[in-house]
Amino acid sequence: MFKNEEMEVNLGPQHPSTHGVLRVKLRLDGETITHCRPMIGYLHRGVEKICENQTFFQGQVWTDRMDYCSAVANNLGWAEANEKLFGITVPRRAQYIRTMLNEFNRLASHLIWLATHALDIGAMTVFLYAFREREDILDMNEAFCGSRLTTTAFRIGGLREDLPPGFEKLVTKFLAKFPSCLEEYENLLSENRIWKKRTVGVAKLSAEDAIALGVTGPVLRAAGVPYDIRKAFPYAAYAEMDFEVPTKTEADTYARYLVRMEEMRQSARIIQQCMDGMPEGPVMAKLPKILRAEVNEVYHATEAPKGEIGYYLVGEKGSGNPYRFHVRAPGFINLQALPKMAEGGLIADIVAAIGTLDIVLGEIDR
Amino acid sequence: MNKLLRTLIPFDIAKGLSITGKHFAKVFFTANRRKVPFHIVSEYPEVVAKMQPRFRGRLTLLKDEQGEIKCVCCMACEKICPTQVITIEKGKKEGRKMPFPVRYDFEMERCIFCEFCVESCGFDSIILNHQFELAAYNREDFSLGMEGLEQNMFVPSPVGKFSVADD
Repeated sequence: MFKNEEMEVNLGPQHPSTHGVLRVKLRLDGETITHCRPMIGYLHRGVEKICENQTFFQGQVWTDRMDYCSAVANNLGWAEANEKLFGITVPRRAQYIRTMLNEFNRLASHLIWLATHALDIGAMTVFLYAFREREDILDMNEAFCGSRLTTTAFRIGGLREDLPPGFEKLVTKFLAKFPSCLEEYENLLSENRIWKKRTVGVAKLSAEDAIALGVTGPVLRAAGVPYDIRKAFPYAAYAEMDFEVPTKTEADTYARYLVRMEEMRQSARIIQQCMDGMPEGPVMAKLPKILRAEVNEVYHATEAPKGEIGYYLVGEKGSGNPYRFHVRAPGFINLQALPKMAEGGLIADIVAAIGTLDIVLGEIDR
Repeated sequence: MNKLLRTLIPFDIAKGLSITGKHFAKVFFTANRRKVPFHIVSEYPEVVAKMQPRFRGRLTLLKDEQGEIKCVCCMACEKICPTQVITIEKGKKEGRKMPFPVRYDFEMERCIFCEFCVESCGFDSIILNHQFELAAYNREDFSLGMEGLEQNMFVPSPVGKFSVADD
């Protein structure tokens, strides 16, 4: 009379906890997930193909619109990949400003992750507090480049403009209050028994699995692998910065939370060092009138807030636009780990698994 | 015993709740609420929002001291635009040596506000102004043409211009 039957459920594409338009096909045995497949492509715009039809200069605006929570980090990768292709050396002041803005962007991205991840799991209060600090960072974005979200912050060869007057004051004000804000979030969450019940031991991903799946970023570091491109292959001004790469060995959702919180502290440290050691000088390198590629192809990886973002560019002789452009998006690769994390767990925990991967569908579908 | 007490009395949740309570009390017991630190709510439609000087808003054509449009139709902005929203038609005007834009169309619906056009302009004849309330009911309100582009110059943002109450 009672048959053991599995049930198929679609999570998304319009589910608020999927952070965009992600559909997850689930097969359930009671409340346990036996099969999980993410279905993507709802936000596909063909960014890579558009960039192939535009000049190297124009391409940057499309990188803003991939991972819209960390547009500055995407811009940095694009600019540096192009500089590698054309053999341009960026002035030191520009490098420092880039590093500083990139770290601010990491803070903004991690704050939005904390806010939405906590909201998914059921902690509403953190959402409001985290967005309060993110607002200050977006204001700084606006002061520097005129836009809050789709920044188009950098140019090939440096920056368009120097820091605006009064920017140092904004940064100092932010850095003075940020540690106490972080403490506030931790007081709200770290010891909270509901938070711990929902995160400790949930959505585990061992280091072996993470490496096999190509997962990078805080998800990999929470499994105990201290791989951070800022340390491993320093770019911009990271070689001159003193910071630590936080790791944890538990490899669960709670460990990833702790890693990201510690990363925010380190980011604030890097920003302070950038402010203290800011060199004087020009912010734009002297560029030739027409950009001509010196090497044929280039792959440049940077550490975006979500993981390794890599730009692969193939240049053609005498052509103003890339012959081939490919993005190694951290969200796309990290999402592959979702079945490994969710299968065998409860259906309620898949929301935590999606949140802890920190995915942005604009980047995954591109 | 200690563990049992901790299970019975939710200290951890009280700790989190005290933060909310502290913030609530700070605002509640201050007479002038705008002076509360961390008070970030602004009374937007009544109080005009302050934009940063570099804010990127609607494209506007600039005029020189004689009141003539500075644009000389070099087409640099048309070429650099990543979404091809600018269309310029070259023409001539009496008593002017340089070419004059007969038509300067800017389709704002597709504009992504990257400011590449302003950067490429060698004559400083266009800017992106501080207008950010860009919603409108009709398509014509977006593509303003020459007239609209000139008129928009340095006009402060029309607060509530397109609000429902005006209808």
